[in-house]
Amino acid sequence: MSLVEIKDLKVHYPIRSGFWNRVTDSVKAVDGITFNIEAGETYGLVGESGSGKSTTGKSVVGLEKVTSGSILYNGKDITKAENRRKLDYNRDVQMIFQDSLSSLNPRKRIEDIIAEPLRNFEHLSKDDEKLRVLQLLNIVGLDADALYKYPHQFSGGQRQRIGVARAVATNPKLIIADEPVSALDLSVQAQVLNFMKKIQREFGISYLFISHDLGVVRHMCNNIAIMNRGRLVEIGTREDIYNHPLHIYTKRLLAAIPETNVNQRAAHRASRLAVEKIYEDQQSKYYDEDGMAYPLVQVSPTHSVALPENIAKQLASQEGEVQA
Amino acid sequence: MAENFEKHSDISAADLARLNQEAQAEATPSTAKIIWNEFKADKPAMAALVIIVGFIAFVMIGALFINTPKMMETNIMDYFDKPFTADFWLGADSGGRSVAKQLIVGSRNSIGIAIGLTVISSTVGICWGLISGYFGGYIDWGMQRVYDFTMMLPMLMMIIVLVTIIPHYNAVSLTLIFSLFYWEGTSRLIRSRTLAETQKDYVAASKASGTSNWKIIFQGIMPNISSLIIIDTTLSFAENIGVETGLSYLGFGLPTQTPSLGTMIANANDPANITLYWWTWLPAALEIIILCLSISYVGQVLRRAADASQRQGAAD
Repeated sequence: MSLVEIKDLKVHYPIRSGFWNRVTDSVKAVDGITFNIEAGETYGLVGESGSGKSTTGKSVVGLEKVTSGSILYNGKDITKAENRRKLDYNRDVQMIFQDSLSSLNPRKRIEDIIAEPLRNFEHLSKDDEKLRVLQLLNIVGLDADALYKYPHQFSGGQRQRIGVARAVATNPKLIIADEPVSALDLSVQAQVLNFMKKIQREFGISYLFISHDLGVVRHMCNNIAIMNRGRLVEIGTREDIYNHPLHIYTKRLLAAIPETNVNQRAAHRASRLAVEKIYEDQQSKYYDEDGMAYPLVQVSPTHSVALPENIAKQLASQEGEVQA
Repeated sequence: MAENFEKHSDISAADLARLNQEAQAEATPSTAKIIWNEFKADKPAMAALVIIVGFIAFVMIGALFINTPKMMETNIMDYFDKPFTADFWLGADSGGRSVAKQLIVGSRNSIGIAIGLTVISSTVGICWGLISGYFGGYIDWGMQRVYDFTMMLPMLMMIIVLVTIIPHYNAVSLTLIFSLFYWEGTSRLIRSRTLAETQKDYVAASKASGTSNWKIIFQGIMPNISSLIIIDTTLSFAENIGVETGLSYLGFGLPTQTPSLGTMIANANDPANITLYWWTWLPAALEIIILCLSISYVGQVLRRAADASQRQGAAD
């Protein structure tokens, strides 16, 4: 059984308008997505801004009110607040935020910030709690003198590591990492990502890794889901997505990865333009008449794509994949 | 599970005391320390603080030694006695009552009402604003309609009417009547900041850490708007001294047998008092000016302490 099973998750926000301020329409931030997160793996959720990845992450951690669908954890639907309370759900599922500064309360000392989940779920004695906080700081590579300082006294990378320490404090099974490194510069990104990987090895944590940076996702994730306009357009292993992308949206995302090889500049440019041309000419083939993605179709045991069945088969055979 | 952390970290229980000491040495100064440094750097504000605290302590304690009903007895022989004599330090008024004693008891009454009013109205206003802004939705809607309704009532007229229909009112009931109306401004101010604060990620992080809503409101959000709360409370204290004084001046505040700063200033209604018997109203007027100026100086220091870029005090 998977650690977390997300089934047909929908998060819609109402749009009110008119004299009576009635609900006239809705923004479909997340519109029916289904995927499973296995224990110990890193699951990548990729898409452009506004595609609903963060909303999905927040729903999984219980911060977002879900319109319909279910998220199963230990066989319980945790979209209901009552079930979350009964399971001590947030002891097992924690979150790392994108903005390291605003996610740490500026008026609290580091000790209180890291100890917050411990105080709610573990009820340790004062000394044990302090010891645990010191150990956590040590694990993420910070000195003990950070204990009584405030968040603004740290650099971005250090703050993000404090966020990681808070997330691991209760030894959770799943951590939602919502673009954990996109606000950091490259050298610090690598540092924080390696810490996350180290912690994953040592504590056997699963990550739901939300990002728009495909280079980072390739480094971190075994399985990847691509999101577009609130729906999943492609699911597969790292191999499937990077070497055999089927959906035009995935191809566009991959084409957008910057290439540093200047000698091949013209060739890269040509291939990017080719992808963009296909996108412009064949949009109707890849999206339905409303411009939304189709339901997912399985093309191999690990690989699914949101296309009509015949087109998916045809593309898959062009890519030379083994049929399911 | 604890073993898991032991295994991956080289810190054990033996290091706890030593590391804790190291951390203490590096600790950032507390807010109280920062405010104190700020006072030390600003001499006029320090003087203002001494004046406020000293004066309030003096009138609170001094009033205990004065027999108010006896003091308020009319004594025709001392009609407008001159000030700076052994019996009447600040002279006497038209009833032959000591101005100095009235000033002490009157200040106690006025300041007591101002403190009570500030405590009640700020507490209610802050809680109202925090809860309304944090929960949003229907709760916010309902609470803001209550706010709109009380805001719509003509405050001064309502107070005057209530004062006239309540038969035996005193300082306590007057404070409560004022409190019915004076929480409004604070609540709207606090709500607007809470709305912004609630959207920040640290609130989401607290929720994800399993902290209850009330704990998030009062231990997470409230410290973050504490600078606003401190400044608003100080300034509304200065304003509240004026509220009681103004109403007593108009004759709708405390009953005439209870001296207050307002009733003393009301002596200035009589042109003869303004020109000839200046000692009946001038001390009270000067006192209000000095108190309000001092409070605003202290308020400025608190505002600077809350904003690191404006601080003048040594970092430590």
